[in-house]
Amino acid sequence: MTEPVLAVEGATKSFPGVKALDGVDFVLRPGEIHALLGENGAGKSTLIKILTGVHLPDSGTVRLFGEPVRFRNARAAIQAGISAVHQERNLIPRMSVAENIMLEDLPERFGFVDYAAVNERALLWIERLGLAIRPDQPVRSLSVAQMQLVEIAKALVLEARILLMDEPTASITPHETEVLFGLLKQLRDQGAAIVFVSHKLEEVFELCDRVTVLRDGRNACNGLPIGELDRADVVRFMIGRDERTAKLGDKPVDAADVVLRLDGVATSLGHAGIDLELRRGEILGLYGLVGAGRSELAKALVGIGGVTAGTVTVAGQPAVVPDPTTALQRYRIGYVSEDRKGEGLILIHDVGRNIGITIWRRLSGWLGWLGEGRARAACRPFVEKLAIRTPSMGQKVGNLSGGNQQKVSVAKWLAADCDILIVDEPTVGIDIKTKTDLHELLWELASSGKAILLISSDMPEMVALADRILVMGGFRILGEVRNDHDYGRMSTAIMGHIHAAEAA
Amino acid sequence: MATATTGRGGRGALGLLASNEVGLALLIAVLVAIFATVNPGFTSPFNLFALSRVMGIDMVIGLSMMVVLVTGGLNLAVGSIGVASVMLGGWAMQVAGVPVLPSMTLAVAFGAFLGWINGQLTVRMGVHSFIVTLATMSLFFGAMIVATRAEAFNALPRSFVDLGKLRYGGFVSGMLPLALIVGLGLWLFFNRTSLGREILAAGANPQAAELSGVRVNRTIVVAHALSGALGALAGLMLAARNGAALPSMAGHIGMGWLLPAFLAPVLGGTLLTGGVVSVAGTVLGAAMVTIITNGLLQLQIGEFWVQMCLGLILLAAVLLDRARSVIAERRRSVA
Repeated sequence: MTEPVLAVEGATKSFPGVKALDGVDFVLRPGEIHALLGENGAGKSTLIKILTGVHLPDSGTVRLFGEPVRFRNARAAIQAGISAVHQERNLIPRMSVAENIMLEDLPERFGFVDYAAVNERALLWIERLGLAIRPDQPVRSLSVAQMQLVEIAKALVLEARILLMDEPTASITPHETEVLFGLLKQLRDQGAAIVFVSHKLEEVFELCDRVTVLRDGRNACNGLPIGELDRADVVRFMIGRDERTAKLGDKPVDAADVVLRLDGVATSLGHAGIDLELRRGEILGLYGLVGAGRSELAKALVGIGGVTAGTVTVAGQPAVVPDPTTALQRYRIGYVSEDRKGEGLILIHDVGRNIGITIWRRLSGWLGWLGEGRARAACRPFVEKLAIRTPSMGQKVGNLSGGNQQKVSVAKWLAADCDILIVDEPTVGIDIKTKTDLHELLWELASSGKAILLISSDMPEMVALADRILVMGGFRILGEVRNDHDYGRMSTAIMGHIHAAEAA
Repeated sequence: MATATTGRGGRGALGLLASNEVGLALLIAVLVAIFATVNPGFTSPFNLFALSRVMGIDMVIGLSMMVVLVTGGLNLAVGSIGVASVMLGGWAMQVAGVPVLPSMTLAVAFGAFLGWINGQLTVRMGVHSFIVTLATMSLFFGAMIVATRAEAFNALPRSFVDLGKLRYGGFVSGMLPLALIVGLGLWLFFNRTSLGREILAAGANPQAAELSGVRVNRTIVVAHALSGALGALAGLMLAARNGAALPSMAGHIGMGWLLPAFLAPVLGGTLLTGGVVSVAGTVLGAAMVTIITNGLLQLQIGEFWVQMCLGLILLAAVLLDRARSVIAERRRSVA
């Protein structure tokens, strides 16, 4: 066996009220891709943060090439040759793609930044990642997926011997994932050591060589070769018991009851000729690659970005939606954003205020009077229904785990009781159990007569949930696939539409 | 386990807020004790009356800034609006012969209107309220000087001037309970009405609020109008104390109010980034500033030293504001 490049022994880290890590061991060898797995709150992110100098361990040692190290800040870790892609966005929106990528190591000439060199070196990695963007483009003009890839480029450009990737594929498409994996395997074969954190087990089995699973801050397993495990083993390590599959019963769709209909819709965001029919009780999938315009279409439907041509019909009546307030109050359309922290939640406010925001107007009496007890009581059923783990309604949402945050952003729209719910990437970065819960919930909502437009880049999710799948590309609808819930056939059919459009 | 994390985090954050207000109250008690020991005149009924009168006015000035800080903006024109509204009210009372109460109502309505202009400009031009209110601060003040030819109204009706002499229990000015009632009203507004909650939500995260059906622009306009109305009220209180409506009563272009206006809410824990309000903190913050000013002036310390002292306190308060955000951030990253 080769010498480990990085060895963690007995790492312990406590935060007020919780032991995030409790004697964790972790060994990383050169030339391997090592999966670090666990449910939300299991301690993965804390471990990553210790390795990148964000946190210092309370006890335990970290050895780098056999030497004990203590990183006091992020720069110290980078200088030691550890580079990381974090879950949180760390890009500077106003700066260019190239500046962001090269930020840690800006080439200089005579004391000034050498922009020609910045752009040239950044372009190399943009191309290797298969990104269709210019190096001098400002980061804020990119889509979420493109930003994620820029984030990855930023880590790769340091050509570090140790690469930590925390959910790198959370918001990118299968095609981009494929390109990324090709690149990671290449780096591994050149001797790099890569830590890969993901909730997508398919990816782990495709990419990784060994696996370490954390549960409740302890090792559930330590560096087992992936060839000796199957999916059920890994899930058992993660959740401590067998996986529960989502119970999706029969769900009738009333084909005659069209609640939302688009005819030749064009928008100021760039959509053209969009035709779409969404029926009562239906889950209509919207699948596409990055930049396909799915989230943008959703936003146009709730009044952000105007409809410039064609007609929108809601419940049989022609509809003009100038803003989300009208969408909610008059047309009963809600949008659960993919960007939970930016657009979905108010992190510094409590659970009650996050869920209640869509219904305050409805609940309040004379002069807008609304008692706190009444407001919270109206939210409580949804906290219970979604089994949101929070000590109270008064808990700040920013203090909840990712999965529970996602539940809160969905609960807000359950409370709103919309007829049409647009759900954008509902399970990104969510653990297995919460994902199953959310799948059952969406199914149940549709069964109870809601109409759901599901935007997802998670193909298995799409195939499990959607009745029909519309494939989008370049702000147009490329085709429709009637879902028979057979993964192989469906993914072939969907990719067929996408490739046909690319070839054309 | 997540529950454990968040449970502690929540109590910690709450504790932090509480400690902020409790801390201010303790600090005030200590200051009062020190001033009372060093200078027996500090606790004389005469001084306590003067102190409580200024305190009430400073509280309303602080609240006037607070309601805009909550949106993540600010209102540099508080002083200008206060003076301009009062000059209108003074004109109505003294020259036009309008009864006192309608004149006061007119002044407050005019303040709300000027604030509404600030809000509309901020929303329509899509720039930060800093630049908008910097411009309107000058504009409103200049227009007021042109309209009044910089002349004071110093023959205000007796019944108005008497408001400044109202006194309870021998040494509490009527201004203090008035300010506390205004504070209570604002607390109810932000905690017990849908519009108040929406303003807080929009201040904390405008995108999320917008997508949740909140009319964010409207919340900004309402907050500015409210700020203008409170500025006008503070102006009326000051005019009643002075017994005259003076163009110079908020200093040059109304900037004399800015220090107390920012000090009170920032000391009190209202985040400059918006979305978090502490009415009690603002009230206590204003009380502390007034006590320090009064106490130091009583000790015959020059006014410029007092100004320097207040400047230092504001810096310390801003540091505290930063520390609070950083701690909030750290706590969040735990989960």
